[in-house]
Amino acid sequence: MRAIDHHAWTNRWRDRHPAEKLSPAFVLLLLTLLLPPLTTGPLVLLLTLLATVRGAGIPVRAFGSVMAVPAAFLLAGAPFLAVSVSFADGLDLSLSPEGGRLALETTVRALAAVSCLAFLSLTTPLADWTPLLRRMGAPASVVELILLMYRLIFVFAERALTGQRAQAARLGYARFDRSLYSTGLLAGNLFQRALDRARRLDIGLAARGYTGELRVLTPERPLSWLRLATAMLLVGLIGLMGGLLARAWP
Amino acid sequence: MTAPLLAVHGLEYRYPGGVVALRDLHLQVQKGRKLAILGANGSGKTTLLLHLNGTFRPTVGEIRLDGQPANYDRRSLIHWRRRVGLVLQEPDDQLFAATVEQDVSFGPLNLGLSEAETRERVSEALEALRIAPLAQRATHTLSFGQKKRAAIAGILAMRPEVLVLDEPTAGLDFHGVTHLLGVLRQLHEAGATLVFSTHDVELAYSWADEVAVFHEGTVRVQGEATAVLGDRELLQKARLCPPLLLEVAQALGLDAGALPRSREALLALLRERVG
Repeated sequence: MRAIDHHAWTNRWRDRHPAEKLSPAFVLLLLTLLLPPLTTGPLVLLLTLLATVRGAGIPVRAFGSVMAVPAAFLLAGAPFLAVSVSFADGLDLSLSPEGGRLALETTVRALAAVSCLAFLSLTTPLADWTPLLRRMGAPASVVELILLMYRLIFVFAERALTGQRAQAARLGYARFDRSLYSTGLLAGNLFQRALDRARRLDIGLAARGYTGELRVLTPERPLSWLRLATAMLLVGLIGLMGGLLARAWP
Repeated sequence: MTAPLLAVHGLEYRYPGGVVALRDLHLQVQKGRKLAILGANGSGKTTLLLHLNGTFRPTVGEIRLDGQPANYDRRSLIHWRRRVGLVLQEPDDQLFAATVEQDVSFGPLNLGLSEAETRERVSEALEALRIAPLAQRATHTLSFGQKKRAAIAGILAMRPEVLVLDEPTAGLDFHGVTHLLGVLRQLHEAGATLVFSTHDVELAYSWADEVAVFHEGTVRVQGEATAVLGDRELLQKARLCPPLLLEVAQALGLDAGALPRSREALLALLRERVG
């Protein structure tokens, strides 16, 4: 999570208008879901990979590690899609060609869809998301909650890390039973701190005129129509190729 | 004499549960002055500062703004906090937004300023704290000193008349302290009134015009820095030790009018004497 966050804040495309990244990614996601996956999926994967690595300058490994977890789940689930179960005469498990194709299609489609989101989360920091969400009509309180959670996650991750180090320094994790005990203590401590922190943040915000709405400036990012059009054209091309290739090899 | 900008009269504060935190406390903040609230750790300084912007309400006694008793309704509090900016000791208690620029923009937007005006205030505040290059950085990637400056910028962007800082130098290294004091000096020269709490007698001596000695939940005495900090007996009662600068100057037999207020001044004096 820290790695994603780090890349989102430091990549080459960070200062681009979020719409330049969001709209192509969203359309690409739609195409992935609608068009035949076996041809479109690999093309989408390739495009998001190139955009992330070549375009935004994010290391391939980072892209890979974001994809790794969902990929592992998908691969673990695929065999169950390939196998069909029938209870007609007793229990009958069979591997049909249709089942195999279904498993392959679903996995490729899901992977391609995840790659669109990986691209977005690696290239767009949260500060760009929240104004966009607000403009798209998300309720202010939900957006504020996202903002606060995002900020506090790091404060508490930091606390948890130093707390754990301090416990380890006193051998709190030397034995299994002590590890459980230490983890419990740490969790309890973090809950307390969370409440305390909330109370003090309330004071801090009130000092700055907080009256129930967390309004902040939207980052000024010039929208480049040229870049947006180029990206959309590329996305359209991928869709066209995916569709045509599927027709050629049904 | 005109009424002090901010005055505390006979303040008593009890925590919910009945523990008395502050009692019979009097304090005056005069316009354009630098006031240090000096006291040992845990003596209740923070609780006092939280009264100065209306966060806590006195159990007994009152706070006066320009001689008028303060009100605690919503509208008055907004007006109050626009004039008196409070910077908490722990910057993480104050920073909430994803980037420095967004965080600093929070106060001005709450004041109802337009976006253009807010941008102007934000860049001005970042400039004043010399953190303009950090504007687009994520808040959670800042160092402690940078967070502290961002927190102060967030208050500064509201252009308060009085800047109240809780232990502003706590946790900062030498460079951080020097930098911060430089910024505060500029703000003061630009007309801001400063109030800060500290347990550091040297800081109070070299920095403040006035010192209020705080002990056991009340202000024992408030007066000119040199006079108050020269009172060894009083300081000892408050579990504080007189500043070294002052002690050396007294040992040299300097008269009250010619006391050095910085180490440079003291060193120059010593060289003069020796050479």
